[in-house]
Amino acid sequence: MEKEVFTFMVGGKAGEGVKKAGSVASHIFSSLGRQVFQMDDYMSLIRGGHNFSVVSTANRWIASHYMKADLVVNFDKRSCETHINDIDSAGIRIFNSDEQNNVDGIGIPLSTEAEKYPMKKLMYGVGAVAILSSVIGFEKERMNDVIRTQYPRGIDDNIAFANTIYDIVNPKCGKKYPLEKGYKSRPIITGNEAISLGAIAGGLDVYYAYPMTPASTILHFLAKQAENFGLAVVHAESEIAVINMAIGSAFTGAKSMVGTSGGGFALMTEGFSLAGITETPLLVILSQRPGPATGVPTYTEQADLNFALSAGHGDFLRIVASPGTVEEAYHLTAEMLDLVWKFQTPGILLTEKHLSESNMTIDLEIEKAKWAEAKLHQSGEYKRYLDTDNGISPMLFPPSNNVIKWNSYEHDEVGITTENAESITKMHDKRNRKVQALREYLKSQNTVNIIRGENPTNIFTYGSTYMSVIEALRYGIMNPTIVQPIYLNPLPTWELNEFKNQDNIVIEQSSTGQFTELLNGKAGLNIRDTIKRYDGRPFDPIELSQKIREVLE
Amino acid sequence: MENLKTNAEITWCPGCGNFGILTAIRKAIPILESKGISRENIVMTSGIGCHAKIFDYLNLSGFYGLHGRNCSNSEGIKIANPDLKVINFSGDANGLAEGLAHTMFAAKRNQDITFILHNNSVYALTTGQFSPLTEKGWKGPSTPKGSFEIPFNPISLLIEVGATFVARCYAGEIVHLTETIVKAIEHKGFSFIEVLQPAMPYHKWEEFKDRIEHIDKEPKTKEEALTAARNLHRFTIGIFYQANRQVYHEGLYGDHNPINKKLSRDERLDKIRKILES
Repeated sequence: MEKEVFTFMVGGKAGEGVKKAGSVASHIFSSLGRQVFQMDDYMSLIRGGHNFSVVSTANRWIASHYMKADLVVNFDKRSCETHINDIDSAGIRIFNSDEQNNVDGIGIPLSTEAEKYPMKKLMYGVGAVAILSSVIGFEKERMNDVIRTQYPRGIDDNIAFANTIYDIVNPKCGKKYPLEKGYKSRPIITGNEAISLGAIAGGLDVYYAYPMTPASTILHFLAKQAENFGLAVVHAESEIAVINMAIGSAFTGAKSMVGTSGGGFALMTEGFSLAGITETPLLVILSQRPGPATGVPTYTEQADLNFALSAGHGDFLRIVASPGTVEEAYHLTAEMLDLVWKFQTPGILLTEKHLSESNMTIDLEIEKAKWAEAKLHQSGEYKRYLDTDNGISPMLFPPSNNVIKWNSYEHDEVGITTENAESITKMHDKRNRKVQALREYLKSQNTVNIIRGENPTNIFTYGSTYMSVIEALRYGIMNPTIVQPIYLNPLPTWELNEFKNQDNIVIEQSSTGQFTELLNGKAGLNIRDTIKRYDGRPFDPIELSQKIREVLE
Repeated sequence: MENLKTNAEITWCPGCGNFGILTAIRKAIPILESKGISRENIVMTSGIGCHAKIFDYLNLSGFYGLHGRNCSNSEGIKIANPDLKVINFSGDANGLAEGLAHTMFAAKRNQDITFILHNNSVYALTTGQFSPLTEKGWKGPSTPKGSFEIPFNPISLLIEVGATFVARCYAGEIVHLTETIVKAIEHKGFSFIEVLQPAMPYHKWEEFKDRIEHIDKEPKTKEEALTAARNLHRFTIGIFYQANRQVYHEGLYGDHNPINKKLSRDERLDKIRKILES
């Protein structure tokens, strides 16, 4: 039986290789030329608990995992109980018969078999790969090749174990879901990897961070790649240090970026405001998790939108944009780096755990990334805060014959502190003119993705929820117009005016409907209904399609 | 840039100890130039407080940061372009209250910057509250009955956490202060100078002058330095400690320079392509 979308789910305790098994599954699907979406659900702990990985694959662009799996592999009883309903009606459930019986599905003695090897529970993931290989008719030899490269520790044991499990499973459900091959093997990356690569492509020089889920993997990726790309990547003592270091680096002309989540960004707001008055080009990656406060660290939400839009005290331009897909995350990061340098102001790339940590196959035109460069002062007397028509002052960096002063106090054009009424007004006006300049510039750029449909109702969404919406509409075979603003400040109202008197609904992951409020308040759109999810989980396309259908009808 | 002066109106109180620090810096920079350190390569940062006004009065490039945070700005400058020499001006509240963690970590990392702590033992700009270095009993507007906290000992504290050049100077001894600033800037690693500096509304020069003593001889080991820092009274001036240790940016990337040795766009795209193909 061939399905358009095939979904593999694997669940067990932290430390049993659940996520790795998901990644290896993605790798196998990609090697077959298929496209993949992998979502990892894990708890904020190191050992125990319950983690699972869901990988959906199709021979087309696939924008979400599905929570009705065709094959569910459970390492333990808890996983089996947790995912009792997360299975397609024709799906296969594999459970660990050493932990339980009387379950509808196929029991295999996973613990007994794994105990025969020194690595024990670390073998479970290998077992999951073997089960998947059997079910999709992936030949044993190819499976062994994959295990050799993906599980290099104790290769012989891993292969022996995989073959044992394969042979147990194969007579029961072998080749039940043969997968049609695709035409192209694609790279698989996470949103955070796309952000990191986009920043590098856009000219990043220095990255500062304090670890905080779900942004930490940007720090890890860039730290690993620092030498390769000649970057400075620093884990500092706090988010306060992080943003002030990044601002110091920008003063020397370095393309600087920081990354964090809501709580860390709360600490950065003092420095964010500093970047506003000193006109420091600075890019902040803000990857949201459910708040307030510590909230739910390893899950997803879109409730920091208002915070991002108004972060930092005082009047200054904050550029805020949010990528809808992993590919867009790459391009938008480079574009934002370019924009903060063009307009000498801080910007936020707003994303979520769902994009940051999900894996996707990508078709990336890497050379289309923007490249950030400073507009340099050419000759004559230098004034850091020269009052210009568009508010943008040419830059210089030390070492220089000229004196370059950046100042957190209100300042004159040279950068000397001032309390003069006229100078204060002049500097406000200068900085505010950059807002108009940015709006004019963005009118020539792609600021909103619009997919035109036939249904009279329009769906507005943003960030990674865009992917959930696309997949839900595909699943439900519905065809409304989808509007995904990439820029949230300035909100591209010039693109949104046409929807003013139409029937609009919003889909977002905030319990109070922050995006709905933004569209209504800033773009004057009437929003008839908002579909929200705020339990930390991303939307499931099947459930979401039912909700959309209810709202559309 | 010639005389290192700006046109800014100087608003320190007449007789303020900050004038001594400004004078010493103006004298130190030509000396550094004669030793091959170009003034173009020297940048300063300041935090917020009376100390920080030096930013407006000294015609040098730099970054006027937030209260307590300029140490992080200094670190970021050095990390991005290690060719620059960074002088980090700080008050005792800026560096040891709001900015304590940043100061400690910069010393721990042995960041190759020079930290000048203007110690007037009071919050002068905000009208006389007690500071992290104020002696017990200070009656300020926030401690009307007298402060009952003990002050930090900045010298032993900085030696302990990892600074590799630690000295105390006095704003009334310009020659000694100038010499020490030159040595501190020449020192490779985190150099820290506590400068005793009377604030006119709150102190009299006489309170300092009569008590200043020079350290007999420079301690040789970290233990000796800590002992001297702990046991000698807080008006003892001189170099307490000097050591060599790997500086932060060299530990981070060796002899690289993220700005001057930046990879081109094409080199980056080629490497990205390789990562995606692997």
